[in-house]
Amino acid sequence: MERSFSAEIRSLSLGAGETFHGEGILAVTKALLQSGVSYVGGYQGAPVSHLLDVMVQARDYMDELGVHVEACTNEASAAAMLGASIMYPVRGAVTWKSVVGTNVASDALSNLASPGVMGGAMIVVGEDYGEGASVIQERTHAFAMKSGMWLLDPRPNLPTIVRMVEHGFELSEASNAPVILELRIRACHVRGSFVARDNVKPRISTRELQMEPAPFDYARLAHPPVTFQHEKLKYEVRMPAARKYIVDAGLNELFDGDRTELGIIVQGGLYNNLVRALQALGLADAYGRSRIPILNLNVVYPLVPEQITGFCAGKRAVLVAEEGQPDFIEQEINTILRRADLQTKLHGKDLLAMGGEYTAELLLAGLVRYLAAHAPDLPRGAAEGLLADIAGLKAQATEAFSGPVPARPPNFCTGCPERPVFAALKLVEQDIGKLHVSADIGCHSFATFAPFSFGNSILGYGMSLASSAGVRNFSARRPVAVMGDGGFWHNGLLSGVSSALLNKGDGVLIIMKNGYTSATGTQETISTPTSESRRVAEGTSATGSEVTIENTLKGMGVKWLRTVDNYKVGDVRKTLEEALTSPFEGLKVVIADGECQLERQRRIKPLRAKMLKEGKRVVRTRFGVDEDTCTGDHSCIRLSGCPTLTVKTPTDPLKVDPVAHVTNDCVGCGLCGEVAHAAVLCPSFWRAEIISNPSRWDRFKARVREAFIHAIRPA
Amino acid sequence: MSDSKPFTLLIAALGGEGGGVLNDWIVECALGQGLPVQATSVPGVAQRTGSTSYYIEMMRTPAPDGAQPVFALNPMPGGVDVVLASELVEAGRMIERGFVHPKRTTLIAASHRVYTTQEKMQMGDGRFDDERIHAGARALAARYLSVDMAGLAAAHGTVISAVMFGALAGAGVLPWPREACERVIREGGLGVQASLAGFGAAFDAVADGSAREALAGAGAGLAAKTSPEVWAPLLATLPAPMRENAAHGVVRVLDYQDSAYARLYVERLQRIAAAAGNSSTQPLVARALAEAARLLALWMTYEDVIRVADLKSRRSRVARIRDEARVREGEILEIVEYLKPGVDEVAATLPRALGARLRDWATHNGKLESLNRGMHLPSTRIHGYLMLRLLARLRPMRRRSLRFHEEQQSIERWLAALERMLAASPAFAAALAELPRVLKGYGDTQRRGRASFERIFDTLVERALGSTSGPAAGAAQELHAAIAAALAEPEGRELERSLEKAGIEPRAPAAKPIVWMKKPRGAASTVVTSR
Repeated sequence: MERSFSAEIRSLSLGAGETFHGEGILAVTKALLQSGVSYVGGYQGAPVSHLLDVMVQARDYMDELGVHVEACTNEASAAAMLGASIMYPVRGAVTWKSVVGTNVASDALSNLASPGVMGGAMIVVGEDYGEGASVIQERTHAFAMKSGMWLLDPRPNLPTIVRMVEHGFELSEASNAPVILELRIRACHVRGSFVARDNVKPRISTRELQMEPAPFDYARLAHPPVTFQHEKLKYEVRMPAARKYIVDAGLNELFDGDRTELGIIVQGGLYNNLVRALQALGLADAYGRSRIPILNLNVVYPLVPEQITGFCAGKRAVLVAEEGQPDFIEQEINTILRRADLQTKLHGKDLLAMGGEYTAELLLAGLVRYLAAHAPDLPRGAAEGLLADIAGLKAQATEAFSGPVPARPPNFCTGCPERPVFAALKLVEQDIGKLHVSADIGCHSFATFAPFSFGNSILGYGMSLASSAGVRNFSARRPVAVMGDGGFWHNGLLSGVSSALLNKGDGVLIIMKNGYTSATGTQETISTPTSESRRVAEGTSATGSEVTIENTLKGMGVKWLRTVDNYKVGDVRKTLEEALTSPFEGLKVVIADGECQLERQRRIKPLRAKMLKEGKRVVRTRFGVDEDTCTGDHSCIRLSGCPTLTVKTPTDPLKVDPVAHVTNDCVGCGLCGEVAHAAVLCPSFWRAEIISNPSRWDRFKARVREAFIHAIRPA
Repeated sequence: MSDSKPFTLLIAALGGEGGGVLNDWIVECALGQGLPVQATSVPGVAQRTGSTSYYIEMMRTPAPDGAQPVFALNPMPGGVDVVLASELVEAGRMIERGFVHPKRTTLIAASHRVYTTQEKMQMGDGRFDDERIHAGARALAARYLSVDMAGLAAAHGTVISAVMFGALAGAGVLPWPREACERVIREGGLGVQASLAGFGAAFDAVADGSAREALAGAGAGLAAKTSPEVWAPLLATLPAPMRENAAHGVVRVLDYQDSAYARLYVERLQRIAAAAGNSSTQPLVARALAEAARLLALWMTYEDVIRVADLKSRRSRVARIRDEARVREGEILEIVEYLKPGVDEVAATLPRALGARLRDWATHNGKLESLNRGMHLPSTRIHGYLMLRLLARLRPMRRRSLRFHEEQQSIERWLAALERMLAASPAFAAALAELPRVLKGYGDTQRRGRASFERIFDTLVERALGSTSGPAAGAAQELHAAIAAALAEPEGRELERSLEKAGIEPRAPAAKPIVWMKKPRGAASTVVTSR
């Protein structure tokens, strides 16, 4: 795993009265333990990866509590795990990145929500929305509504988040329904503190076994005819019970203010930015005391009609601050007000943006419009001035820079084993023409950026091969699908490979075998090299001897299968060309083998430091460019894009274009040299092998060579 | 209502630079002072070397009993007190997004550049101009501190986050003293000494006002070599705009071949100068002359196997690599060269007739590429070094080689055109002087550059030469555009588009061999494989 959580693991065991300092998502982890969960599962992905990562690393402590932690292979398997809470009074939680993870999980979620749960079941989703998001922009809200699961959206401060986790389990049990806790990206990563409580050991656990299975109960199966009864239960029994709990436990919060004719209803997650906007208007202070009353919804589904009408009654106009589309909350409040025949005007998306992240700036613009219409006496000048300033600043910057500054999207890491595969693919295209490339989710999707710009479609995690099924039947040239080993095990094996085999699909699949799900933080998969083989490999790739993927494919009936060493660009190029031109009709799989460089560097750095300290012989390798012979055409960069292969101003006064240059962060992966060879680029690359603590033999050889070369070398 | 406002700090950085550690240090300091604090970030996949940011809010004084400040999660344009950037363009990005306000924001930014892929991959110079960011920063920040953070980090063997922390503390914007910062660094426990040194150096540089714009890279280390004294009288015959480049050019050509060749270089310049007559001080003519002197020197010293072997076996080179790769005393350095000479390179070096025959044979038999052999030549070992020296010693043969002959022909053609245009149209001449810029690289890249050169020459330049009334209005612009297009992407499509705009019929894109074609249903089901 990319990150070590030793400090965080300690804070998971804090007792009552001690103060927890840390990230939002780790506060959730602690709150799960305080709630007495029996099991936790999930699938990694920003912004919730840390929840599972820290628990996996804290296995010993989890074992002491009796909590089972499962690193599921996809979100569907995580969601299905919650089935334990249908028949047993055990609490469980699962986590994933949403909306994509919820999409994958939704079959199991529907079948979970229909019979309902006995023990508290919670789904912690990272709402990957707005700045920093890496997926399509949709809301999890729709899933909660369609399946009858309750949705918590707490104010983004640690005490509230923790309180909502704990109440979430109570709410789930009080209403027999699963509960979703959604946290936006910044809320997951917010650093704050809360006063801890003792962790609770679950009553049924890996230590306290349930001796008999639950008795047969057809009513708890998602199977007709009881599914018809479930539907009635959801809306006649479970939802009223949930609403009662929400009111009794005070989950939603009313912040009163003196301008009682006004009011704002806000999703809990947006509360802080709303207060910032009110501060800019001079209507709230640093501690959140607002002159306009605010109804803060920590539970955004279901709404409690009495709470809404109670807040809106007697007000001139209420503003709903609800992020994203569709505007489910605003629509429902409109319905509630109509049913109650309240004449309070309702605003929302008419004054605020239709889509996008609701930042303080955006909320401020909406509030100014709202106040202009309904409280013209309140001063808005300063806020309007600020908004005009902001627009002016952005325009002035663009003018001063004469255009936008260059974008800097994420990139393959230095020495990444996936980069050479795309360099080879670019060379293949030079030979046989443009290819249709079905891209996928994972580090390899960085190949959609410059200098590679590969990819005609992205249809989801592990979906690349499946998404070329239609294309390969009407394309004269074979399409290529790229998939990581993470995506292969997540979904690609079944959705892609088995379907292509069944339909005798003629295409090329490249599987990046780097050993881990690396974009999410190098979590392990079923084909991750063993710790022993990693120890033996030291700084070299440890994935070569791991053949689970190869064996699986052979077992399924893949007849054309090649494994290539990624860093040998020439071989990769030849193999890909062979796959694309072979008369063999059917699925052709190229396994691109090279272990994630992050993992290799994590092993080699401490090892090397230790050996240097002990005075042992250590060789380090790096590449470089001869400035004299570099003509500054940068074709090497167009085939690599490595962060350490950059440009610099030449020292030669006659050259004006920058020359290529390798920085000292180079890890010596060898791609530069390989590309220079495979593409017949230029002779400017050199490889330096630097021997620290050389042996006597090394020193002797060096002395002889130097003496000889010195004798014949011109100045 | 209390009107105390939170102190807001936005950190712009690249993924993997240790921004998270810096974030933690600042939070620890605030907690140590009993100040309410909140920090957020959007790491995600941006951790993989993309742009990312961290945002911190805190109160300057402890909160009254029982009160909890409400901190925002997103920075608000115009609402940020301090923007701290680990790289110059990232600072520009923050300005672009409105986070730097002229009445409120202190901008502390690194002066170095980490170039984006988009900038690096251009065939010419795609770098964003630093000065534009500095100008924007000076105009739009209440206070702008430009710090050589990369330099300080390297000098103290530490990471940039420690230097950023020092610059922040040195700017006097934090509500706690320097010692508080140093304490949390010490408690961090990793690389403490280096971090403290980097922190201290940046603190002092900013606090005593010595932080100023360090224009990273530009003009640094310009070679001081100028031409030997004996050449001075000859160079003095050239018009002023040519002299500096010509002086460097003579050194280069001498180093490349011999003094006869250097004399040829100067004579060629004299020819151009004569064509310019006494209009040499007119700006367009001056530019044409200076560029011609520069590019002619580079062209006449085209890189061939002999040149590469010569440069790679010089004494100064090992020292330079030792320095660049930070080889320490007592360590042994071995250098391996990545060479891949092919038929083309061999033919280019052979005597004219022989070389031409070899190249024709290889072209007809499809061996131009297939006979390339990748070599890993250990140039710090005896046999490897000998091989380089042997190749370098072929220098006298160069004058009779195929490539030498071809390059001289091409140079003469360009010179003759330039001579005529200097008299007819200085604007066109200025553009024409720049045309050899498209000649770059080795192997395939070099062939493509040569093709672009010839394509432009055959169309735009010949058209101008053929017109009795001199080049048409706009012809110079068209030539400039064509050069830029040839450098914009390697495939040559941009060039064809640019030429089309100038009224030249575009060439069809080169056909790719058909290697595998699916046959439509109903046709014979055999697969076609042909190359």
